[in-house]
Amino acid sequence: MSAPPTVTRRDAFRRGFRELLPYSPGVFAWGLVTGIAMTKSGLTLAQAVGMTLIVYAGSAQLAALPLIVAFAPLWLVTLTALVVNLRFVVYAMVLQRHLAPVPAHIRPWLGYLTGDVMFARYTAMLAEEPDHPQRVAYFSGAATCNWLVWQVSSLLGIFAAGAIPASWGLGLAGTLALVTLVVPLCRERAALAGVGAAAVVAVVAHDLPLRLGLLLAIIAGCAVAMGLDRHAPAAGRASR
Amino acid sequence: MSQEVYVWSAILGLALATFLARSLVLIAGERLRLPDWFESALRYAPACALTAIIAPDLLLTPDGLDLTLTNPRWLAGGVAVAIFAAFDSKIGAIVGGMVVFWLVRAALGG
Repeated sequence: MSAPPTVTRRDAFRRGFRELLPYSPGVFAWGLVTGIAMTKSGLTLAQAVGMTLIVYAGSAQLAALPLIVAFAPLWLVTLTALVVNLRFVVYAMVLQRHLAPVPAHIRPWLGYLTGDVMFARYTAMLAEEPDHPQRVAYFSGAATCNWLVWQVSSLLGIFAAGAIPASWGLGLAGTLALVTLVVPLCRERAALAGVGAAAVVAVVAHDLPLRLGLLLAIIAGCAVAMGLDRHAPAAGRASR
Repeated sequence: MSQEVYVWSAILGLALATFLARSLVLIAGERLRLPDWFESALRYAPACALTAIIAPDLLLTPDGLDLTLTNPRWLAGGVAVAIFAAFDSKIGAIVGGMVVFWLVRAALGG
């Protein structure tokens, strides 16, 4: 009985799955909004279902919808999604350190299953148990739960939206969902200034062909934020 | 290009962009070295990209920039920001914004 507790992969997977359940109402509502927004922006049923199953990245999907509606060039749609998805690069850099025992052909699947909510839970678990022996199984369990809740709610939104009249303007809910993603990213002054610059340029340059104003706005916003950022740490050090 | 071909191509583009962001580092492992400026851009680029999509959608009407009380979309956005900042609730912000949108539109007789 006093032997050190051994955690099987299955136990860890189940625990990860279970510990994500409390977050599922938020994931569910989010998926519902994304499903509705996809249908309301004019995608066919098959296209919306294909998008949610293949892409599985709510914010990139919501960001791409207005571009797709405007027939923006495909490279710009892809590039925008890539930029919106850059936070996943940060997640991957964390996860990558734990992947030594995972075979190469499994790794892209772990990447596909990575989501914001489940990753937050994974990092919280790691903070308490940094050396958890089955952390990748825990990750997979939480990721599977996240995927299931998201897909069910997203499909529900896709099918329900067909019954809701276009005059309700529900597509706006997708844009409001993006608003709630930006607000927490603006706590620092540099980020807030960058976001302000991006908004101004995006509005002023909106009529440029191929929706190139979007690209200009991203570049301008990053330039302003990174310019202020370079000065901020130096000033902070001087005052301490 | 037909709508059908265009949308499916866009979906594949999104899939590619998402795969690159989520899995490239996992596959390449230690072999991938990212430059410093890129790590700095990682912090700001997503917020700027999302804003560049949101701002024209909320602020521009068919008649151009409209920051008055007759544009329900930007009022809805403002209320969503306020609700999220005050209560940290995504759902509250989305629902609250939509309600304001519907109320303002109704008040304008739309």
